[in-house]
Amino acid sequence: MNRKDAIQVIAKYIKDDPIISANGFISRELFNAYEKNSNFYMIGSMGLASSIGLGVSLKNPKKLIYVFDGDGNILMNLGSMTTIGKLKPKNLVHIIFDNQIHESTGGQYTNSKNIDLEKIAKCVNYKTFVAKNKKELEREIRKIKFGEGPILLKIKISKTTKIGKRIDIEPTKIKSRFQESIM
Amino acid sequence: MNENIQRKVFNNLLENRIENFIGVPDSTLKNFIDEGIKKKKVIITTREEEAIGIACGMQLSNSPSLVFMQNAGFANSISTIASLVDLYEIPLIFLIGWRGYLKTDAPEHLKIGKIQNKLLKALDLQTKILKEENWKTCCEWAIKKNKKNESCAIIVRRLKNE
Repeated sequence: MNRKDAIQVIAKYIKDDPIISANGFISRELFNAYEKNSNFYMIGSMGLASSIGLGVSLKNPKKLIYVFDGDGNILMNLGSMTTIGKLKPKNLVHIIFDNQIHESTGGQYTNSKNIDLEKIAKCVNYKTFVAKNKKELEREIRKIKFGEGPILLKIKISKTTKIGKRIDIEPTKIKSRFQESIM
Repeated sequence: MNENIQRKVFNNLLENRIENFIGVPDSTLKNFIDEGIKKKKVIITTREEEAIGIACGMQLSNSPSLVFMQNAGFANSISTIASLVDLYEIPLIFLIGWRGYLKTDAPEHLKIGKIQNKLLKALDLQTKILKEENWKTCCEWAIKKNKKNESCAIIVRRLKNE
């Protein structure tokens, strides 16, 4: 399963819920596969999607907030998971698309192949789910319910063969339409 | 800086609808942070960039936020300030402890202390130095900036070696 297939499966469940998506191919793929006003696309500040998602989730306790993260991204800000685990936002769903590489910089490896992100998440108070293929993802995504967070869903994805166009929305516009959508 | 003034600064900002105080502790700011912890308004993070990320998420939810840190952490945060706070124009109030202000401070603080003003200027971040005689106008200035959707930094000098 590639990232695009995974996003298409998840999108049916997310509908219009807010998504904070990490920089690199993750935001780019989301933009091409499931563009909507309540997507906050990061185009820089690698590692911080989960932190922004934590801030949004704490201030919007009645909404389910999704973070689209990558293995390279979360490994850059692993401390964020401990802060999330301490504050336990019940409405936060942290999805990690795990391809074990820094794909947008040329496919260099990350350490995710040799460590267990799911175990780390469990140790810091997350409820965890793992999907290694489309069938598993369709099964696991149904188990995610409002009020049981913080939730981690780790999705194993394959290398991207073709990435869509870059995000062509101005950053300040990404911000203002996101703000309006969660008001 | 005087303990009471630090506590007054915290309470003034809180009364003027700054709702979140997020950061990494700094001994120069310890009474400010302590007042916030007592009022259950503080989130302590693992790194300064993380604090900025959380504060941006809250500010995106229309909840005004302040990020506190030592200037060593400010130096860590330059890329995040440029590519998140500045790029998306998300208004935050920074409260930064200025280690290395005195040439007699500990050696690890001297270099950052010396280049701090240049770094702030390079980022176009407007600043005011908090003093005992100007604390109220300093708070008013920061709140006004936040309402005008602009980021700003309040600087607290370390005046004694402890």
